[in-house]
Amino acid sequence: MDRMNSLGAIGRRSIIKTAAAAALAPLAAPTIIAARGETPLRIGMIDPLTGAYAAVARDEVTGAQLALSRVNAKGGILGRQVELLVEDSANDVGTGVQKAHKLIDRDHVDFMIGDVNSAIAQAIAQVSSQNRILHIVSGGHTDGITGKDCKWNVWRVCNTTRMEANSVCGTLFQKYGKKWHFITPDYSFGHTLQSAIEANLKKLGGTVTGAELTPLGTSDFSAYLIKARAANPDVLILLVQGQDMVNCLKQIVQFGINKQVKVAGTQQELESLEALPPQARVGTWMFEWYWKQPGVPHVAEFVADIRKVNNGKVPTARHWFGFTSLYTFALIAAQEKTTDGLKLARALGGFELPPEIKLQPNKVYYRAGDHQLMLSAFVGEAQEHGSDDPDDLFKVDRVIAGDEIAPPVDETGCHLTWPS
Amino acid sequence: MNAGGRTNRLVLAAIWVVLLAAPFWLNLVGGYTALGSRVLVLGLAAMSLNFLLGFTGVLSFGHAAWFGLGAYGAGLALKFVALSTPLAMLLGTLTGGIAGALLGALIVHRRGIYFAMVTIAFGQVFYYIAYRWNSLTGGDDGLRGFSRQPLAFGPMRVDILNNSTLFYYFVLVCFAVAVGIMALLLRSPFGRTMLAIRENERRARFLGIPIELHIWIAFALSCVFISFSGTLYALLNNFADPNNLYYSLSGDLVIMAVMGGMRVFWGPLLGAAVFVVLQDYVSSLTTNWMSFIGLLFVLVVLFFPRGLLGMLRQRRVA
Repeated sequence: MDRMNSLGAIGRRSIIKTAAAAALAPLAAPTIIAARGETPLRIGMIDPLTGAYAAVARDEVTGAQLALSRVNAKGGILGRQVELLVEDSANDVGTGVQKAHKLIDRDHVDFMIGDVNSAIAQAIAQVSSQNRILHIVSGGHTDGITGKDCKWNVWRVCNTTRMEANSVCGTLFQKYGKKWHFITPDYSFGHTLQSAIEANLKKLGGTVTGAELTPLGTSDFSAYLIKARAANPDVLILLVQGQDMVNCLKQIVQFGINKQVKVAGTQQELESLEALPPQARVGTWMFEWYWKQPGVPHVAEFVADIRKVNNGKVPTARHWFGFTSLYTFALIAAQEKTTDGLKLARALGGFELPPEIKLQPNKVYYRAGDHQLMLSAFVGEAQEHGSDDPDDLFKVDRVIAGDEIAPPVDETGCHLTWPS
Repeated sequence: MNAGGRTNRLVLAAIWVVLLAAPFWLNLVGGYTALGSRVLVLGLAAMSLNFLLGFTGVLSFGHAAWFGLGAYGAGLALKFVALSTPLAMLLGTLTGGIAGALLGALIVHRRGIYFAMVTIAFGQVFYYIAYRWNSLTGGDDGLRGFSRQPLAFGPMRVDILNNSTLFYYFVLVCFAVAVGIMALLLRSPFGRTMLAIRENERRARFLGIPIELHIWIAFALSCVFISFSGTLYALLNNFADPNNLYYSLSGDLVIMAVMGGMRVFWGPLLGAAVFVVLQDYVSSLTTNWMSFIGLLFVLVVLFFPRGLLGMLRQRRVA
């Protein structure tokens, strides 16, 4: 008991001292902050770092972080260092909206990036446009974002589903035939994509032999595949994504369907091809960006930089989306010498990306009419093994410029209204 | 008894002071007003669930369905019927409330695990309807294209759309009305009957209480309250999506209620506050934030089986 009392006596003194120090500390703080100069410019990024899209979301963040380090190494944006605040939307709209409020109301971000999930992207776009924050959608593909739900402050880097459909249809029709059959995931994304492809096919003069609607998360595709084969199409179009795509392709190869019918689809991701056994890496697809582009300036440098922070793996399209989204802010702010959302949004119309950012052969620019980036589509074939690199699982046949595959602005349904 | 009553009144006053002043102190502690609105909305949802779980002793694992129906009802009303926030809330509440009352009549004869299973099943039915009916609900992309409308009181307009502080107070008023009605119901003879059913259903039946009818009324009322909170959620996000109906949200609501203390009226609000704030802060630091919430839940269940608020109350009594 005595010992405790004596300890208590010493404790009281130190408590008084600590309290006095704590009370004085805030007085000292402002001078330190003032010495730091201007406050950093903040960019908020919302992506589903947990949930079904976690892997691709992390790749986008890695890409944005690379852009961040390059921008800061060159002196930041308008002389201010840049901070990237990353928030997890947990693949849930409510959480995404809450995080958007957090970034805008509390952290006072100047620009926003996100989300991979189209629904969340559209929900947070409502928040960003109310608050007049320039916002780039890095990875949500639904047409509406740069279509009938377009907004003055929202720009999109990745493709629309229409652009994806348009990029492969011509090649497939010329090379493989005019009777097509679909394996479609049974929700809005799949339906939109299928109708876009059907519209293309109709224009080209082909026919649809049928469509198998598969619930999300299907593991056994055998019944659908047997039906599809019985319809005797020239091309089997797979619109399923992620794990469904992996399961479906594995079973197609097991049944030997790829030897009778040409297998193809729209968007394919390196992550999915890597998850497949080598013999199931078949089919004609489009990539939104591909890392192996011999002779195109600055690509090798980008690949090497990403490898350093990505456990030695090559960048995917998602890395490039994150990278391009963040770099766009730096470039346009430097050009206009302001961070004002409205002025920058107006200036982005027609803005062309320089070679060290676009990392592809064709002209890449933001289209003024619907705020969609005109990026190229990489159409080609999946391959079992790369010739010189284990990550080279895709052979690019054609790189099609964005404005060749994008529908004209008046067909997108986008009517921009600008604030006064 | 008198002292206990005074303490209760003090606690009640403290809760309201904290809630009323939230927009002022939230910013000081690193929060933001929208976070407060979210705590209130999910808190009301958890309290509605607890109306059934904590006070009637019936566990529903599908309450997200009625929450989501409220959200979709409000969104669809704003989009297709009229640009009026109160009307949207009324229609949303009716949608969820009526659906809950109708299906509740089919469910109330089940007990325990069977009751929970059937509620999940019905909940998932509504989830898949929202997920698949693209033309009406927007399917997986969610329902968008509506936003809450400024309130008009005669010549006065309250702009809850662009002013997040005003919207917080709007939510707080709605919350107060709903919670007030809930408290009155629990004090009424009907509320006492609910407690009797919770404590000993067989005995209540022998006393001549129509058990099924009472559970059905409690279920329907709980659905009305949670749909009401669902309409607020749609207004908060200006968006409704199928995850509002998904069973994982039902699970989150049960976690909030149990964590806060399901035998205490205000317990679920505290549970919702802890859940939402923890998610908000920890998810900015690590992607493994769910592990922390899970860990906290396990700790609470192991060491404070009456929940955070239930434990405080027990201490005081002891």
